[in-house]
Amino acid sequence: MSDSNSDTQQPCNREMLPRRDWILMPLIGLATIALVAASTEWIARQLFSKTKTTFESRLVYDDPSKGVRAIPNSTTWCKREEFPLLPYRFNSCGHYAAMDCGPKPQGVHRIVMMGGSFPMGLGVAKETTFASLLPQALSLQTGRKVELYNVSMLFRSARVLSLRTDEVIREDPDTILWIISPRDVEDVSVVLPADFMPQVVEKQVREKPIGLLATIKHRVQTALSLPAASVPDVLRAHFQSTETALMLRHCLYESQSQYVKSYLMGSDSLAGFLRTDPSTEWKRRVQDFDNYDAVIEARAKAAGVPLVVSFFPNRAQAAMISKGEWPEGYDPYKLDGELRSIVTSHGGIYIDILPDFRNISNPEKGYFPVDGHPNPEGHAIIADLLARELTSGAVPGLRATEQNQIVQERGR
Amino acid sequence: MDSASFQFVLFGLAAALLSNLNRSRVWRSVVLMAASILFLWMLANNPIVFLPLIGFLLLGYAGLVLIERGLAKAWVWSLLAIILVYVWLKKYTFLPEGIFLHSPYFTLGLSYILFRVLHLIIEAGDTSEKRHIGIGAYLLYTLNFTTLVSGPIQRYDEFARDQFALEPIVMGPRTAGLQLERIVRGFFKVNVLAMLLHAVQEDALAQMSQPLPLAQKLFSAFRLAVVYPFFLYANFSGYIDIVIALARLMRVRLPENFDRPFSASSFLDFWNRWHITLSTWLKTYVYNPLLMALMRRISFVALEPLLGVFCFFVTFFLVGVWHGRTSEFILFGALQGGGISINKLWQLGLARGLGRKGYKALAKNAIYIAFGRGLTFSWFAFTLFWFWADWKKIDKVFTAIGIAQWLGVWLAIWVSATVVLALWEALRAALLSIKTSEGPVLTSRYARVVYASALGLAAFVMTFLLNQPAPDIVYKAF
Repeated sequence: MSDSNSDTQQPCNREMLPRRDWILMPLIGLATIALVAASTEWIARQLFSKTKTTFESRLVYDDPSKGVRAIPNSTTWCKREEFPLLPYRFNSCGHYAAMDCGPKPQGVHRIVMMGGSFPMGLGVAKETTFASLLPQALSLQTGRKVELYNVSMLFRSARVLSLRTDEVIREDPDTILWIISPRDVEDVSVVLPADFMPQVVEKQVREKPIGLLATIKHRVQTALSLPAASVPDVLRAHFQSTETALMLRHCLYESQSQYVKSYLMGSDSLAGFLRTDPSTEWKRRVQDFDNYDAVIEARAKAAGVPLVVSFFPNRAQAAMISKGEWPEGYDPYKLDGELRSIVTSHGGIYIDILPDFRNISNPEKGYFPVDGHPNPEGHAIIADLLARELTSGAVPGLRATEQNQIVQERGR
Repeated sequence: MDSASFQFVLFGLAAALLSNLNRSRVWRSVVLMAASILFLWMLANNPIVFLPLIGFLLLGYAGLVLIERGLAKAWVWSLLAIILVYVWLKKYTFLPEGIFLHSPYFTLGLSYILFRVLHLIIEAGDTSEKRHIGIGAYLLYTLNFTTLVSGPIQRYDEFARDQFALEPIVMGPRTAGLQLERIVRGFFKVNVLAMLLHAVQEDALAQMSQPLPLAQKLFSAFRLAVVYPFFLYANFSGYIDIVIALARLMRVRLPENFDRPFSASSFLDFWNRWHITLSTWLKTYVYNPLLMALMRRISFVALEPLLGVFCFFVTFFLVGVWHGRTSEFILFGALQGGGISINKLWQLGLARGLGRKGYKALAKNAIYIAFGRGLTFSWFAFTLFWFWADWKKIDKVFTAIGIAQWLGVWLAIWVSATVVLALWEALRAALLSIKTSEGPVLTSRYARVVYASALGLAAFVMTFLLNQPAPDIVYKAF
């Protein structure tokens, strides 16, 4: 096939197609489309399979005052599209920790880590999460036994954590480590996922269309029993839910530039925190974070436990920092700077790991491309960065010994 | 509306449909004019921004009218005025900043309008051929929406032959089917293939300045150099596929702009296959007259081949310079002109050293062709750095690894291009050798339906995904 089509002046009779072709050619076209679509979906389902059992089946959503909790001593095996098949085991206190709850052994420096699904290690085998890797590194560098008890859990917003700080202190920590992701700030005030909040469900039922056109559309749809969304919307939503869409996205988002581009196309709630001039909604979220952080810091202070806070970037943010350039109107460091001011203003210790991402090539490889949670590579990066910062002297009791520091420097 | 978007294709198809409602040339011209004006309006719906373009077009037409009325001197002055106004409107960086218009205005497609206007003026000044071009025909030709943004550069007589024909060229189901398949192919090239290749190139560029092990950095340099020519080809030839097909559906045949350029076995051959209408235009209006003028003044027979080499350099230097208004494009032009000239000198040297027969035999040798193809690709890829990057980026890229390492990368590119392109040629020949009585199976209408359907589906899905934001965390957990 050359670039051109042979397009000399054709006599009229050569222009005509045999009658059978008027049926055969559309059928060939349709069959091709059906075959390509079906085979792609089949391949995608093989590559990105999922189990029927879900991780959420081990969670209890019935407490609108304190949020989600896990069923103690429960285990479930599950696999999500990009995640491997993993056992999710909760200890007798309902924590996703590598050890059981209980008194801390003597002479051990215990870090109790709190946060959402990032520090919990969703989608990663427990032994490869930074919750497991960090204490090993810290023990090595400080020359003393350090253990990390992980109380992180899905849907643990700053508000929920402010309600559950006492539970964290009950675990007898020497240090509380709070790992924050951008999503924690986005959902800073949420207690339960929207689907489980009674008032939200009620609002969804009552919601009425606003404006004349929307009202007419709503009435026509109701009268004809049509779905609320338009046909293209339904098709779009249907396609988005296919494994083909996930597989293609997974491949596309392997590209750093494409992922950043796609991410920044997102809505304000998703990418707004990266803007140099954030929306009022994001400003309110940061303000709310300030309030909840004040409560948490006050409780930690009252218990005499230092609170160490660190912000872990999401995939797009890490890619932007590593790349060293971003579109005008965006600043991947903005939220980090604001959180640092808030935490330190309440007397907490802020561990800033974001600038370290400048020296990591392709840090987005440390995340699941579509899901966005860190993968084992990402957990190893976090463990390394946190170990370096925690032992630099910022945290009492975790300073690296001089000898270990030299070994560590040489290792780098 | 982007120039190769889904909206543009729909717009073009709607114009083609309307145009075919009546076969009269008046109707088809009215539809083309209306579509072209509407297209311009959709690109920038503010009449003020079009004023410089209107002025440019009127200047061109005034020159044309003066020449038609027998003012011989107007020929040179019109050409000069058109070129100067073009350079001014395009804000070439060698001009002082203060003389430019500072309010925003529309310049999209101006480079191609320039070629069409210059072509009309030069042809009008040619005493052997006299014709009158009305303002309507002039505007139809210069503003034709199918060639406005990025060509191809069509000659006026070819345009007029089809557009103003009493009996328009045949348009039956077979032709329509071929054009629809070509639109799908072009759309896939621009909106999927080019987008993906662009992402690969951007990633490689970012990696050049990241702390990576040497082997990975060398691989990034390799990808950076290799991917851009393919991106450019997919992007430009895809767009050309779309507009040629749309124009054909409107019963106008546009000239081809590409002919499998990466099959070229020499840089001279490459420019016969890449952006064909541009190089043809410049060969017609720069190379030929310049060579003839020089040969009239310099009568040494021995120097004649060198005069040809010099004229090639000038022509392809202009090809490069025309592509942009910054100093990078001067070097880009010099590299194009240099490549062509060295290629010509090589041919002359070989012909002298081996004799004509010997050179012809060598030029047919498959290994010589394969290495020539690889070298042509590598040289073009090298020159393109001054096409897509500014000096700052070029410095960043070329200092990211050492000179010896870059030489190694270019050697690897040459060898890889030689092998891969040779394999591709062999595969293509093998596939096209599978024939029925009607011709190769792969180009049969049934095969075209199969791959047009598959590409169409892929283009639709990928365009949708590429224009969708990355989803929120799928496992909605915070």
